Amino acid sequence: MRTQGGILLANIVTGLALGFTVSNIGFGDYAELNRMFTFQDLRMFLAFAGAVAIIVVVFAVARVRRTPPRIHAGVVPGAALFGIGWAISGGCPAIPIIQVGSGYLPALVSIAGVVVGIRLCRWTTTRYLLIDTGSCGR
Amino acid sequence: MNDYWPWWAGAIGLALVTIAYTLSTDRSFGVSGAWDRVLHWRAERELERRQAQDEIEQRALVDALVATAPRGPGAVTPPPRGRNVSLPPRRPPRPASLVSQAALLGSILVGGFVAAITSGRFEVRFDMGAGFSELVTGNPVMMVGILFLGGLLVGFGTRLAGGCSSGHGLQGCGRLYPASLLATAVFFGTAVAVSFLLWKVV
Repeated sequence: MRTQGGILLANIVTGLALGFTVSNIGFGDYAELNRMFTFQDLRMFLAFAGAVAIIVVVFAVARVRRTPPRIHAGVVPGAALFGIGWAISGGCPAIPIIQVGSGYLPALVSIAGVVVGIRLCRWTTTRYLLIDTGSCGR
Repeated sequence: MNDYWPWWAGAIGLALVTIAYTLSTDRSFGVSGAWDRVLHWRAERELERRQAQDEIEQRALVDALVATAPRGPGAVTPPPRGRNVSLPPRRPPRPASLVSQAALLGSILVGGFVAAITSGRFEVRFDMGAGFSELVTGNPVMMVGILFLGGLLVGFGTRLAGGCSSGHGLQGCGRLYPASLLATAVFFGTAVAVSFLLWKVV
């Protein structure tokens, strides 16, 4: 599974399973999301926290580790901007894709925003901020 | 009111996806990272080409060194030739290819579509649902503006922080990385604060 073909297959299976799971948990539903973030309904919060707990145990047993990323200057401001964006638009980078798949056409606008934001980030970090933000999903 | 999964089913589902990917590929997946690479495909393709070239050159160098190493008594035992020659120190695995990252994004769309169809939630609509209309705005022009601004903050913020809810939240927190725990606490905290404002104040 570590050849490029194996990784392609793993990415396809992961994308399908992730889209299916995240949609069925309800992360694509703005009302559910606001109820989670305001602690009116802990169901989705427990789904996420429960997943992290299971992953921590399995990764510890399987000894999955790599060099941890540095806490660089972009972590806190970046995460803060992300949190604001998530709360007002209801989307993390995967959710608008799932919303479009569920028929919410305005989520295409959220995707356009994500696209512009990501390009803007690389442009500003390489040109002005000079922060090495590391990599995610590599 | 809803037909969503109970919390434990969601937890098992998300954990299975993350664990299966990591154990089968020895890599992490991150949706914002996939977006980043796909959107900068020109630069990333060049990088892939250079990395492949480097690997060929290093392998040739090792093979040449092994071939010319002195033999006989007292000589250092040469390492085995060919694919088993490892290049210390162990480098992190090469990133998944651009095509794989694009496939991840495309499959999320298909997975979400299948979930919506099979659960009976699929409906083509031009709003973001009753919750968004009540809590954020019911005005279509405002809605477009807020979705774009929100998406912009999500895209910019996740890349500045080096990860999103999958890369930092699931993969990073699962490995107990300090940067990921910090990022997750911050994005969750600000999302809670803004959500309370939208619910109680605005």
